[in-house]
Amino acid sequence: MKKKILILCCVLFPVFFVSCGKAKPSIYKKTKPLMDTLVTITVVSASEEEADKAIEKAFSVIGQFGNKINFFSDKSELSAINKNAGIAPVKVSDETMGVIERALFISEKSGGAFDPTIGPEIRLWDFYKKVRPEDAAIKKNLSLVNFRDIILDHSKSTVLLKRNGMMLDLGGIAKGYAADLALASLRQDKIAAGIVAAAGDIRAFGLKPDGTLWNIGIKNPRQKSEADELIARARLTNKAISTSGDYERYFMDNGRRFHHILDPKTGYPASQCRSVTVISDSGIFADGFSTAVFVSGPEKGMELVRQAGVDAVIIDKDGGIHTTPGIKGMVTFEDSH
Amino acid sequence: MKTVIKNTTVADKLLFLFMIMASLAGIFISRAALPQGREVVVEINGEKEYAFVLDQDRTFSVPGPYGDTVIEIRNKKARVKEAHCPNRLCEKQGWISKGVIVCMPNRIMVSVGSGAANSLKEVDAITG
Repeated sequence: MKKKILILCCVLFPVFFVSCGKAKPSIYKKTKPLMDTLVTITVVSASEEEADKAIEKAFSVIGQFGNKINFFSDKSELSAINKNAGIAPVKVSDETMGVIERALFISEKSGGAFDPTIGPEIRLWDFYKKVRPEDAAIKKNLSLVNFRDIILDHSKSTVLLKRNGMMLDLGGIAKGYAADLALASLRQDKIAAGIVAAAGDIRAFGLKPDGTLWNIGIKNPRQKSEADELIARARLTNKAISTSGDYERYFMDNGRRFHHILDPKTGYPASQCRSVTVISDSGIFADGFSTAVFVSGPEKGMELVRQAGVDAVIIDKDGGIHTTPGIKGMVTFEDSH
Repeated sequence: MKTVIKNTTVADKLLFLFMIMASLAGIFISRAALPQGREVVVEINGEKEYAFVLDQDRTFSVPGPYGDTVIEIRNKKARVKEAHCPNRLCEKQGWISKGVIVCMPNRIMVSVGSGAANSLKEVDAITG
């Protein structure tokens, strides 16, 4: 009998140690302030050390890209382009060229509802200090907004803004692209699943450790309290999801809401939507098209998402919800909506 | 005592060892699974620098590029009491009992509990 117990123990102990030694995949999450926002990276990994290393590398990829396209930094490539508007072409990195190329694609597709040359209008507004510019100033700067006046020379990797005073602002697209770059970096580090969330511009890939899809909340554009309140949830993987809303940076003046998503054709905040969420295969398209659809409004916006082959949830100015057929089974609305 | 040890077989000793290991594992598992007391966590530039219990009142300063930011914990709430960043949005946010206060210029994040994730546990990220 004693012998039997001894043998049993000898068999069980190695099993115990083996099961302890091989760590199960877990979720690791870190947040860092980058590109003037909070970036959160979540990864699934069996090793905390490897997860940490991969996350830090992805953060540094975002940081480096952010430095190149920072609108407010004198040292950025974007500033060099803006300073040399109407003067000389500026040599840029592959990342900056890549983001401008895609910005032009979305501008063209949306007929200018998205326009990265919106810079001269953006700089007139200050949503924190509640500064509403003079109508005359808005009108004057409109002549400087036209994406067709961006000249790219691929052979020399240069960018030129045709006219003096023009200004590129990649704010409507850069975070989505940053999420794409970070995801590529994580994949390079053999991370098979995770989420990169550059504020509300999110890319999810792989599955959670329990084999389920990632669950992404979509914020209610008119929440009653300060805590995050959801209007819907999207269960997805290998997709990007971005939202443009009129509630992020805004001020109220005489009952009218002035927010940061400007219509490039008028220079004033676009007023047809409360929020637009776009689900796409890439972060940059989700980010760029969410802005383009927001400016286009629900009707033209739905046509645009169909043409672009992306999915969308549009909350119009009256709170009406418009969706593409593709979101069926992917997005569920909260009970109150 | 001596007879007890003398009468202990190898199997008994192994069983004893197994029980100790199992109870040690239990401590670690329960620590990870059970919620700890509510905390105020201060992160600077993405790194966790301070963690205080929410139940104990205190005021402390955190250095940053725009000077010291004063954080206050009182009556199970936290706030940025004093900041020297350009817009002082963090200061204007006032008291929070859950969620996050962020000062982008100073790269400081003050979170109470586990932030918004507390009430939206099943959500992995939020867009909007």
